[in-house]
Amino acid sequence: MVSGSPSESEIRDWCVKYLARTLDLREPTIDPDAKFARLGLDSANSVYLIVELEEWLGTELTTELIFEYPSIAELARYLARHAAGERGAG
Amino acid sequence: MRQVNAEQVERLRSPKPAIAIEVASLASILRYRAAERPNDPGYIFLPDRGGGRHQITYAELYRRARALALRLAVHGKRGDRAVLLFPPGLDFVVAFFGCLLAGIIAVPMMIPRRGSRRDASTAIFADCSPRFAITYRDLVAVARPDLGNRFSDVELEWLFVDAPGAEPNPNVALPALERADIAFLQYTSGSTSTPKGVIVSHDNLLQNLEMIRIAFGNTPQSTHVTWVPHYHDMGLILCILQSLYIGALCVLMAPVSFLQRPLSWLRAIHEYRAEVAGGPNFAFDLCVKRHRPEEMQGVDLSCWKLAYNGAEPVRAATIERFASTFAPYGFSANSAHPAYGMAEATLLISSGKRGAGPTLLTVDRDALQNGKAVASTPNHHVHRIVGCGRPLIGERLAIVDPDDRRRLRAGQIGEIWVAGPHVAQGYWCNAEATAAVFGAIIDGEPAEIWLRTGDLGFLDENNELYITGRIKDLIIIRGVNHYPQDIENTVQDCHTALRQHCGAAFSMLDQNDEEQLVIVQEVERTYRHRFAIGEIIGSIREAVNREHEITPREIVLIRTGTLPQTTSGKIQRSLTKQMFLAGSLAVLQ
Repeated sequence: MVSGSPSESEIRDWCVKYLARTLDLREPTIDPDAKFARLGLDSANSVYLIVELEEWLGTELTTELIFEYPSIAELARYLARHAAGERGAG
Repeated sequence: MRQVNAEQVERLRSPKPAIAIEVASLASILRYRAAERPNDPGYIFLPDRGGGRHQITYAELYRRARALALRLAVHGKRGDRAVLLFPPGLDFVVAFFGCLLAGIIAVPMMIPRRGSRRDASTAIFADCSPRFAITYRDLVAVARPDLGNRFSDVELEWLFVDAPGAEPNPNVALPALERADIAFLQYTSGSTSTPKGVIVSHDNLLQNLEMIRIAFGNTPQSTHVTWVPHYHDMGLILCILQSLYIGALCVLMAPVSFLQRPLSWLRAIHEYRAEVAGGPNFAFDLCVKRHRPEEMQGVDLSCWKLAYNGAEPVRAATIERFASTFAPYGFSANSAHPAYGMAEATLLISSGKRGAGPTLLTVDRDALQNGKAVASTPNHHVHRIVGCGRPLIGERLAIVDPDDRRRLRAGQIGEIWVAGPHVAQGYWCNAEATAAVFGAIIDGEPAEIWLRTGDLGFLDENNELYITGRIKDLIIIRGVNHYPQDIENTVQDCHTALRQHCGAAFSMLDQNDEEQLVIVQEVERTYRHRFAIGEIIGSIREAVNREHEITPREIVLIRTGTLPQTTSGKIQRSLTKQMFLAGSLAVLQ
């Protein structure tokens, strides 16, 4: 679990690194604005991304977030504003 | 439908049953349970995030299923098909038994994904021409209004399990079923071009449920906990139907709950003192990967007697890692229970003995590739394979040379052929595929017809079955079957730069021995100098993900005219795979 609330760009970088590793892609080829589907993220891998984010951020997330915020950039923006705040509020 | 004479069929259909079952269908067993133990819960569904639980007693299940059956009987006739579109939960169970009671052929299927264009649902609808689509009101009214539009050009009637509808007509009677009647169609893959609906009769179903009961040693105390989807043959037959057959409680979880919190499956096994729970190989790996001691406090898995592992290749390393990780919580390594089966045999084909633990064999990898199972010597590459148990009581299993159809001896690798009363009736409306798969005859043994599994394996001296490979072109990812032709079609339709009929999809094992999808595709000559490879690869990823729910591991674009094909233009997938692994494809950079 990360200490302190990560910023939007830290979350974005984390997602790029994570997806590069799991999807076996080179980091520069991952466009944070590309839709997750474009990156080839299937439903099982979407769930795993959410689970890894939960562990890193130390908060509970729902798998629906992937549909509501369907790119790394959108998801990172949402998480930076909301998820970290929820944790702070306990 | 079969290309064999009636006498052969008769001989195949009338072996000595393991135990005489005096009922015509599983529906009779539900009626019996409802009368005998009306207030016992038959099924419990655990919604995501511990939001309580939903349960249904046998009496309630029978009452609701019968109410639906009466509505079906008013509007339809025996033998009509009904597709069942349900999220995980108890309504599916009601609808399935409603169909059985009414003599309507149930067709369980996955709810089409939002935004998918050409997923399997369209092909399944076209293949089985359903009279009904059964679901619950809020799914089409609120959650997925797109479903009504999606199937607006199909003539069918929507029925809602949660709508009281008109009072059942007292003059409508439910049919007296016969064991030869068709119970349901099991569509075996996410196939989009050539879906194959396995025809399972009431007799097939009862015969295999009895085989499973004996092989697994199940009793009314054998509580099940399952997260495997209900449209998957393992989830449906091994859990939902076997539990009712033996009179045991079945606890259901949503597949996504398991993927997100695999340990919640183990906690449910603990909480309900379940004996029987399992899944495809990846499920056990996922539990190990997500193991967090703080989430397992107080969990006691000593009740878990049978952790079946099937639907995708069983890995020795997976079994060992799982057993050692969860031994501190009382899990016994002897509970690991590899099994083998397929929808064409209703479900189960081979199984170990309860509590005996898996049989591991170390073989010479090179000899294995040459079709022989040879015990390894220290100097050779070794490969550990897991026994999938023995053939079932009431079943015949043969290892046959797939080319000249001679029966092979113990230790020789060949195609696995199966015969018995659990072998299904064929594929719905597909006489050609039925004859090819269900009508095989061993050289010199004309008296019996066999099911060709398309899987390779051998029997050892103790009659233990080992699966060593596959001759059919099939890709299995997370327990789901995918036909390469479907993926190739999706690829070729997603970008104009890609040549039609000039691509190959196949799987390879990654460093963890998990199957991964590889796509090799030719590019049109005219596009060669003016396209962006990255953009095309992105399109392929997106399309394959959208239509098939798979993340391709490798996408390789190759020069026009360099994909290995036979002179008649047939794609040579295994040769393409060899060239891919050898690095000898004409890859466009």
